[in-house]
Amino acid sequence: MPPAPTPLLTESVTSAPLRAPGRAGRLSAPVAGLLLRRELPGLPAADVATVVGFVARRIDGLPSPLRLGVTLVAALFRLLLALPGGPGIVRALAERPLPLVGEYPRLVRSLGLAFAFETWPDRRADGSPPP
Amino acid sequence: MTGSVLSDCEVLVVGSGAGGAPTAALLAEAGFDVLVVEEGPWVPQGTVVPFSLEQMDRQYRAGGVTVALGRPSIAYTEGCCVGGGTEVNSGLYRRPPAETVDRWRRTHRVAELDPDELIAIAREVEAELSVGRLPGPATAASEVLRQGAERLGWQHDEIPRWMTYPPGGDATSGRRQSMTETYLPRAQRARARIVSGCRVVRLHHQHGRATHADIERLRPDGTTERTTVRFRHVFVCGGAIQTPALLQRSGVRHHVGRTLAVHPTVKLAARFPDPVNTPDDVPVHQVTEFAPALSFGGSASNAGLVALALSDNWSALATRVEQWRHLSVYYAAITSEGRGTVQAVPALRDPVVTYRLSRRDRELLGSGMARLALLLLEAGADEVYPCLRGAPVVRRRADLAELTQRYTASRASIMTVHLCSTVPMGEDRQRCATDSFGRVHGTSNVYVNDASLLPDAPGVNPQGSVMAVAVRNVRHFVARERPRG
Repeated sequence: MPPAPTPLLTESVTSAPLRAPGRAGRLSAPVAGLLLRRELPGLPAADVATVVGFVARRIDGLPSPLRLGVTLVAALFRLLLALPGGPGIVRALAERPLPLVGEYPRLVRSLGLAFAFETWPDRRADGSPPP
Repeated sequence: MTGSVLSDCEVLVVGSGAGGAPTAALLAEAGFDVLVVEEGPWVPQGTVVPFSLEQMDRQYRAGGVTVALGRPSIAYTEGCCVGGGTEVNSGLYRRPPAETVDRWRRTHRVAELDPDELIAIAREVEAELSVGRLPGPATAASEVLRQGAERLGWQHDEIPRWMTYPPGGDATSGRRQSMTETYLPRAQRARARIVSGCRVVRLHHQHGRATHADIERLRPDGTTERTTVRFRHVFVCGGAIQTPALLQRSGVRHHVGRTLAVHPTVKLAARFPDPVNTPDDVPVHQVTEFAPALSFGGSASNAGLVALALSDNWSALATRVEQWRHLSVYYAAITSEGRGTVQAVPALRDPVVTYRLSRRDRELLGSGMARLALLLLEAGADEVYPCLRGAPVVRRRADLAELTQRYTASRASIMTVHLCSTVPMGEDRQRCATDSFGRVHGTSNVYVNDASLLPDAPGVNPQGSVMAVAVRNVRHFVARERPRG
C-alpha cells in the first residue's frame, strides 16, 4: 500500500463525521418517513428511523444550490403535512410528476430504497424481514 | 479561524485525480517542488466496498447526489477523494480515438496535437496502470452483453481495465490501479507533497500572474481553518465541475464553464432465469455497434442499486427486488449535441450546474433504451425494466413498441459519469479558455490539466484521453521551463 499523504496540518481528514441533521434534513425527515412507510409498509419502525436518518444526512450533504431548492420544497411539503388531511395531500402530491416539486419525493424515495436494500438485501419487497 | 502562510511551493497542483496525479508525478520527477492539494479525504483501497453507499459517502462529492439542472435534469457523480474519480469509477480504459483527436485539432485549433504522440503516451500510461483484459472468464452480467450482441450480429468487445490480478485470480479479484496505486506514489517518491481534506477557495492573481492560493480546511469539529500557499505556477486539475468553479471564483471567466459536455445515459434493469448479479463489480463488455453515437454497457448492480433502478415504478415492480441476484443493471450512453454550464455563485459553496439536451439527444436516448432492451431479451432476459416513469415491463419484442411510445426524456432517469470540456483548450480564442497546452489564456502561470480541457466528450470512457492529454501538456511545460542543456 502506498504511504499515506503528508498532512497539510496536524490532522488529515479521512472521513466526514456523522452530524446531527441540518435544516434541510430536519425539514425532510417527517415527509421522508411518511413516503417511506408507504413504499415499504413492512419496514419495522426502528428501521424506518434508520432510513430516514440516512435520507436526512444525504439531503444535508447536497451541493448548496440543490440543498437550497430542496429546503424550500421540503418546507412546502412540511407545511402541507401539518394541514388537516395533510398525509393524504402529501402522498397524492408525491404521485404526480410535477416539475421541480415532484423531484423532491422522487429524491427521497430513491435514497430511501437504495439505502434500505443495500443495508438489508434480503428483505421482502415491503421492507419486512424474511421469515 | 487562523491564517498563516503554511508552505510555499514551486508548483501547486489542485486535485489528485486522472489529471492531477500524472501532472504532479512528472513535475516532481523533473525536479519541481510540487504541492498537491486535494479537497477530498484519503481512503485507502480495500477499506470500502466498491459502489456501496459508504463509498459514495466517503469518496464522492455530496454523497454522490449531484445534479445538472435542466428539463430533464441529469444526475452526475464526481469523485472527491485522494485519487479522484479513478478511485471509484469502473476502471474501463479506452485510448483517445483517432477521429476524436483529429476533430479536436480541427474544431478548436489545438496546435501540435499529434495522434501518434498521444498513442505513444497512451502506451506509457497503460503500462503504468497495468491496463489489460480479464485473466479468465467474464462475469455472468458481462456475458449477457456479449451473448445478446452476438445473437443480433452487433459489434462488441471486452474493454481492458487498469487492474492487477493475483495468480489464479478471476474477474472479480482485481486490484484497481488507480492514482493512489500508481502516479501519486510516484509523485511522493519524487518528493512531491500531497495533502488531503483541503479545498482551494481562490487563486489570487494580478496582471495575468497568479501568486498565491487561499486554502480552506474543514476540521472534524466543523470549524474551518484558512491557509495561504504561494507558488510560481499552478495547475488546476479539479475536474470538469470544480476546475471552472475555482477559476470563476478567482475572476478567470473567459470561456470558462460555458461548454460542459457529458455522455447522457439511460438505464434498464433486467431479470434472468439464473443468477447474474455481481454486487461489487461492473461488466467489462461494451456493445459498440452504434458507436460513437450510442454504446451499451453494464452498471454496478448491488441490491440497493437494483432497488434504485426499480424505484421509478416501485408500486408495480417492488417484488422484483426480492430476486435481485437474478437482476443486473445496464446502460445506454450517447454522445451529446447538447451542452451545459458550470457557474460559481457568490455566497454558495458549490456551483450551479445545468445541462440542456438537444432534440436529437432525447430521441437517441429513447432509441438506445429500446435497442438495449432488445439486446437483453436476446441475451435471455425474461423481463426488462426500463428506468422510465410509467414504463411497461418488456417481456417480448412486441413490447418494445409500447416502450418507444411511452418514452419521453422527461420521464427517464438520465444520468452521467463522464463530464468534460468546461475549460476547452485550443488556439481559437472565440471558443477556448486555454492554449493548446492548457495555459489559461491571458495568464502566464495558470494551467488546467484535466477533463475540463477536452474540447468535447470523446465518445468513449474518457480517462485514457484525460491522462494522455495531461501527460502531453506537462511534458510541454517541463520542456519550456526546464530546457535541457
